[in-house]
Amino acid sequence: MNKKVKAISIIVLVGVSLCIYLYLNFTDINTINITDAVSFENTKSELLLANFKEDEKKADKFYTGKVIEITGIVKEVSFLNNRNTLILQGEDKDSGVICDMNSNQIEATLKITEGQKVTIKGMYKGFLKDVVMLNCILITNN
Amino acid sequence: MNKILPFFFFLLFFTEEEPKPEQYIARLGQVSFFSYTSVENIEAKNNQVLSILDVSKNEIAISMLMRGFVFKKSLMHEHFNESYIESDIYPKATFKGSIVDFDATSKETQTRMIVGDLSIHGITKKAEIKTTIEYINGGYVLVGAFSVSIKSFDIRVPPILASNIAKNISIKFRFEYNRYEE
Repeated sequence: MNKKVKAISIIVLVGVSLCIYLYLNFTDINTINITDAVSFENTKSELLLANFKEDEKKADKFYTGKVIEITGIVKEVSFLNNRNTLILQGEDKDSGVICDMNSNQIEATLKITEGQKVTIKGMYKGFLKDVVMLNCILITNN
Repeated sequence: MNKILPFFFFLLFFTEEEPKPEQYIARLGQVSFFSYTSVENIEAKNNQVLSILDVSKNEIAISMLMRGFVFKKSLMHEHFNESYIESDIYPKATFKGSIVDFDATSKETQTRMIVGDLSIHGITKKAEIKTTIEYINGGYVLVGAFSVSIKSFDIRVPPILASNIAKNISIKFRFEYNRYEE
């Protein structure tokens, strides 16, 4: 009996360890399911950028590591470097929101045209001249 | 009045005007790095690197988010941001320098050296980087590669993982610039 319990314990332990190893090594953090993630905030691209214009440090701290939903007008659709990227307009010409689309969004991105109003959900990564969002998905397009 | 008028014209024609900066911007620049060891190869790409090229002064500025690097494995992403680069403390890497002997009027492909200050992980070092510059469709494309030693930027790797991370990391870049109108 003891031998049986021991054997089962070892098998369970090895199984759990293997699962943890596979999860940590072969799960791409950038493919975390954004669709199911709860948005930290729903906002317009102009309002989001206004926060950074007012106080970049404070805004960056506020949004770091958060999934956010943004509505804005598409300024540019880019396929540079084999990426699918949408750039949403800000309140001025100087800055916008760069949305690097998830690989499962290729077909949806191909249908988007400049000047179109869209709602995007993605992971906030930081601010340079533009807000940078990765792993984005399209929620609505009008 | 007769005396003032020639003086006014003198000022108008001979006052040296500050040259207007002629700038180009790349918002979706690509920087990738590679670490090759016998244990494992690590690769990551950042496709949202910002760069501004001022062709009137031959100056270049680059800024990138360390959290913007995408890895194949989540564990690498975590180690990179939390243990090695400490992205919360040092969220950006920057480069500011000038392109030696760059002729912005030339439509030929040029190979030039970029000399400037590279800042990673809060440490700034002088860097000389070779680049190829092409003039395509009214903009410039800069491509190049160089390597950095992790030790010189105070990036510490725990002894247990020392064999997994190369001492010198290869870096590649590609920037496509369009005219920047503020």
